[in-house]
Amino acid sequence: MSLQEIAQWLNDTDIGIAVRESVYAFPIIEGAHLIGLALSLGLILFVDLRLIGFFLREVAVTDILQSLRRWLLLGFGLTLVTGIVLFLAEASKLIFLPVFWLKVVLIFLAGLNALWFELKWGRQAGSWQQQVVLPTGVRFAGWASLFLWFGVLSCGRLIPYLGAGL
Amino acid sequence: MSIFSVFNQLQNSSVANLISRQDHLFGAGAQLLHITGLILVLASILLVSMRLLGLGLVRVPLPQLVNATARFIWFGLILLALSGIVIFLPAAEHYYPNPVFWLKFGLLAFAIFLHLTWYRQFTKAESVRPIIARGTAALLLTTWFGVAYAARFIGFY
Repeated sequence: MSLQEIAQWLNDTDIGIAVRESVYAFPIIEGAHLIGLALSLGLILFVDLRLIGFFLREVAVTDILQSLRRWLLLGFGLTLVTGIVLFLAEASKLIFLPVFWLKVVLIFLAGLNALWFELKWGRQAGSWQQQVVLPTGVRFAGWASLFLWFGVLSCGRLIPYLGAGL
Repeated sequence: MSIFSVFNQLQNSSVANLISRQDHLFGAGAQLLHITGLILVLASILLVSMRLLGLGLVRVPLPQLVNATARFIWFGLILLALSGIVIFLPAAEHYYPNPVFWLKFGLLAFAIFLHLTWYRQFTKAESVRPIIARGTAALLLTTWFGVAYAARFIGFY
């Protein structure tokens, strides 16, 4: 099965057709995708800002992480589900758009970074929490997350501009 | 002078002409700054509202959280205003008949009024009555997320 055939098949799924052909479905789901972003990227932005020392430095990282983790994950769930539906509606175009694939790669890298942070630092309430300046690895994860998610956001926002000719 | 003629003059102003002569990726850059500002504001409001609802950061005193998010809210609003002007000016006449455009700015005016009055006063208190805290959180979330949701619809209407 070629890439084009896969894209066509995705494009012709019931959900893809329904969203593409409805006047309201597309903006409603776009709106939900945007609200998902405020929860997912918005909350992770403040966690990153804490890791690099620009937000609530007096509060332990564990407190912030424990309290926001499930909302973050809920936000990423909403963003992912609405994102998949939006993708289905335009799969046959998106699959040929380099910026779409760049977005997918950046999401994957940002996910890996988060997973690495979570396994190495996030789940252990070690002594690093109390330090004024957090360990280099922790700050690196914060900066990497900021840049990667900003890259994801940029790619997403560029899709309609770079994909208009397709 | 009618509002439409103001919009007409704005669209034909030299600044608007300068913006519309730029590459279409310039517009994409303005859109990117706009969504970045939006995420800063919405996530800050979300953090404070979650604190008010008792759903997150409950161990951080309310005034401390409000203080810590304040500069991100203002930075976000400045980004939104500047990029918003760039997006609006070259197409002012196009936005004029769009009811969702007016709905968005109605909600935004209310959100900013709320922010400068009730929000500023209310969040100074260390402890607030739960019912008022929950009501405020609900009002904040509905208004600000309403602005964003309406804004997303403008282009489709």
